[in-house]
Order: sequence, then C-alpha cells, then structure tokens
Amino acid sequence: MAKIVVLGAGIAGHTAASELRRQLSKKHKVVVVSPNRNYQWVPSNIWVGIGKMKPKDIIFPLEPLYKRKGIEYVQAKAVSFHPEGDDTTQPYVNVEYVFGERKGEQEKVTYDYLINATGPKLAFDMTEGLKPGTNNAYSVCTYDHAQHASEALHALIEKAKTSEKKLKIVIGTGHPKATCQGAAFEYILNVEQELRHYGVRDKIDLKWLSNEPALGDFGMDGMVLSYNGKPMKSSEMVEMIFRDRGIDWVLEAGVNKVEEGLVHYENLKGEYKTEPFDFAMLIPAFSGHGFKAFDVDGNDVTPKLFKGFMVVDADYTSKPYEEWTVQDWPETYQNPSYPNIFAPGIAFAPPHSISKPRKSPNGTEIFPSPPRTGMPSGITAKLVADNIIDSIKAGHISLQHKGSLGNMGAACIASAGYGLMKGSGVSITTFPIVPDYKKYGETGGRNVKKTFGDIGLAGHWVKLALHYAFIYKAKMKPFWWLIPE
Amino acid sequence: MTQIITKKQKRWMQNPFIQFFKFIYLNIKILIIVAGGHGGTRDKADS
Repeated sequence: MAKIVVLGAGIAGHTAASELRRQLSKKHKVVVVSPNRNYQWVPSNIWVGIGKMKPKDIIFPLEPLYKRKGIEYVQAKAVSFHPEGDDTTQPYVNVEYVFGERKGEQEKVTYDYLINATGPKLAFDMTEGLKPGTNNAYSVCTYDHAQHASEALHALIEKAKTSEKKLKIVIGTGHPKATCQGAAFEYILNVEQELRHYGVRDKIDLKWLSNEPALGDFGMDGMVLSYNGKPMKSSEMVEMIFRDRGIDWVLEAGVNKVEEGLVHYENLKGEYKTEPFDFAMLIPAFSGHGFKAFDVDGNDVTPKLFKGFMVVDADYTSKPYEEWTVQDWPETYQNPSYPNIFAPGIAFAPPHSISKPRKSPNGTEIFPSPPRTGMPSGITAKLVADNIIDSIKAGHISLQHKGSLGNMGAACIASAGYGLMKGSGVSITTFPIVPDYKKYGETGGRNVKKTFGDIGLAGHWVKLALHYAFIYKAKMKPFWWLIPE
Repeated sequence: MTQIITKKQKRWMQNPFIQFFKFIYLNIKILIIVAGGHGGTRDKADS
C-alpha cells in the first residue's frame, strides 16, 4: 500500500489527486491537505470581479466530493517538511488544522510520495499599502477579493453617474516583478465593457499600468502570432485592442507604494512617478510560502527543498539571459534531493524569468516574473500523478512522463467582455510556452503554426465553455477524465 | 503604424453566425495544440 499526500487543492493539486484516485486501487491512500475548503475555478474570478458571476458559480466544497471519491481530506496548512522523517516515522509534513474542533492543532502527515501543489503566496505585503480593499485598491486573485472588487467598481459607477469630475481607474501590476498580466488584461477589458454598459465610459479614464517592457509581453517575452493569417507581434495586437477601447497605458512601471487614490512607481529610466486613481486593481507579487525543511536529526535542510518555491529538476545555474535555454526548465518536477517529492503547477521554482531581465539605474529590477497559468498547472500535475502511479506499479521511481514548458503549448482565452451576444474574447495559443530561440529562431522562439491570436464573440463562448467543462471535470462527474487538461 | 480594428472587422467579430463556426474552429485548434502532446527538451538537445 502506498500513501500519496497532495498539498493544495487548486488546479494542480486537485488534478493530481483526481488522477491518482482514478488510476490507483483503493488499497492505496490519497490524502489532500489544503487550508481551503472550496475548489475555485480561478480563471472565472474576472467575471466575479465585474459582478457577472457570483462566487457560488465558480466554487464548490471539496470535502463531500473527496468523501464520495475515497480521497482523504485534511483542512489544514502545511507548516514544515520532514523528508527523512524522524526516529519514529517515515517522511512527513507537519500540518496545522485551520478549521473546526482541531483548529490550531498540529499533526504529522506521513507519506510515501508527496506532491507539493501549494501554489503561490499572494505577497501583498511586498508592496507598501497594497492590501485588497484598502486605499481604493482591489484584487481579483481570489473569489472573495473579486467580489469585493465588483462591489467597489459598481459603487464607482454609481458615483460617476452624478460626478462632475472625470474619474480614473488604474489596472495592472502592483509590484516591479509581478506576474499574471493576463488576468489584469482580462479585467481591464471587462471593466471597460461594464462602464459602457452603464453609460459612464466617457466619465471614467482607464489606464493600464504594468511592469512589462512592451504591451502583450505577458511575462512570456511577448510573441509573434498569426492573426488573420498574417504574422503579428502580441504588442501590436494588444495596442490595437487598447486603442480601440480607448485605454491608455504606462509600461516599465515598478509599483512600490500605494496610498489612498495614489500609486507610486519607478520606471526603467529610474524616474519616480505617481498615478492618481479612484479605483485600482493591481496584481501583487507572488512568492513561496516560506516553508522550512528538516532532516532526520532536526537540521535545517530548507535549501535542498526550497528556493522561494520548491526546487525541482531545473537548471538553476546563474547565467546571463543570452545563455538561457529551454533545457533549463524542468521536465518531471521531481525534487533532486528527495525523489519521492514533486512540485507541479505554480509550486516549483522556475530557473529564471522568461521575459528579459531589466534593471533601472537605481538597481530596481522591473520585469514580469514567469506566468504559470491553469493549463500548464493541470498538465504538469497530471504527468506527476502518472509518474507516481507508474512508480507504485513498478516498485521503483519511474519518470516516463515529461512535460517541459519549453515543449508544451498553452491557450490563453482572455475574456474581453461578458455576454452571450455582446461578449468578446481574445484567444491566444502559444507553443511552446517558454520560447525556444534555437528551434524557432526566425519566429521569436515560437512555432507560428501553433501560435495564433483571434478576437471576437467566439472567444467569449470558448472561455464560457471552458468554465463549465472544467468545473464539470473538477467535480469528477461521469467521464470527467475525457476532458483534457 | 498601429493597426486598427475597422467597423467591418467589428461586425465580423460580433456576428453570431460567423462566430459560431469560429467557435468550432477555435475549439479544435486549441485541442490540437494543447492536447497534441508535450514532452521533455533535454534528450532532443543532446541528440
């Protein structure tokens, strides 16, 4: 009998647990440890953030599902890692219950295999004054943040109806090295449509404030994509959309402080500037959770497991941008020191960014960190689960399944407005996610046959269809496993 | 020079009949790209 512990029940953790449970017999134990009692389909937070969906539309409780499917569920947060165990136990994770009668109590959760899918910590504290719901700044990173943002947005819309003064909304990144520009991009387009819907678009200015070096960088060094059968840079595509929607932009901006109605930033020229606003949605920095790890004697072995996020089979050698290759990126998400520990999804430490690193004359690094979206999270979680299943069946570690972000495609279906007939979406596919400048040197590191962009109502329908399909899949309804990650 | 979205293109983008076929096309295209497989990169680099 093998016991597999999955830390986290987001897209990666839940995908891994579902796959393990589906393919392993009941004599093997699958345990999910997560402080969150609900599963949330994060890509639809955008629609909660404009009030077109309610949190209940994008979440469901995990415990009843796991009970039905034979997955053990522990509502707790990981506290420390003990990959060699101690005198009395096999390897374990120390967890602390966060709910119910056992709240605050700690317990050792032992394992044969450990999947760390704890995702990122939303590090609002890395930017002074950036806290969801304070200083008129909001977030759409979680469903409750998004609901709060929607309430504030609609209050602003009401104010705009009677205001003599022109109001201003700023949307973008809230830290010099923030990522997830895609979510902010979706949000600004949805907000723009919402303002038009309520007839206040002419009373509110919209500004994109981002750490990207160019529009459409998205933390992926931008891309050359096929649009209407012709090659087009993602920067040109986004500029075309922003001009069409009357959205202004500021790039190369490293936000360092937020005060009530005022965001402070430094740009790549080293200038310190401010931008006033009446409502802002700024994506925070993502960081690791600050976990500690200890060996059998109680010595701190954290560097073996963590480098902010978890250390996996990537090449972490420090080298200049010109020497980066796709081979630096991990393939199996296995920890090199402890072969029974894996970190798919957002939990693994990337070897470096994808966008070119840039520094201001003051020494501030201002560029996007690599994005890790739902699709690669699901794919990497499934391949990790498949390798563990093979290992259990073979009786030794098997790493047949591989999936480097340098040899994997992704689709980013960005909502550009909600509505069955009035909605819109910007559909972008990219292959590979991490550009391979050696293989696709002529086309910006991407295969143009598989990297394309499209704008229109169909994109909205695709995003809506994905919403329902992936919630169906997450609920493990009949034949859920036929829906690919 | 920045491209613009013309009125004709906008009508195309919001035409439900045309977009229905686009929807089918996009789903197939995404499925081919995303579910079309993935793998490592290091073996290829070595070879």
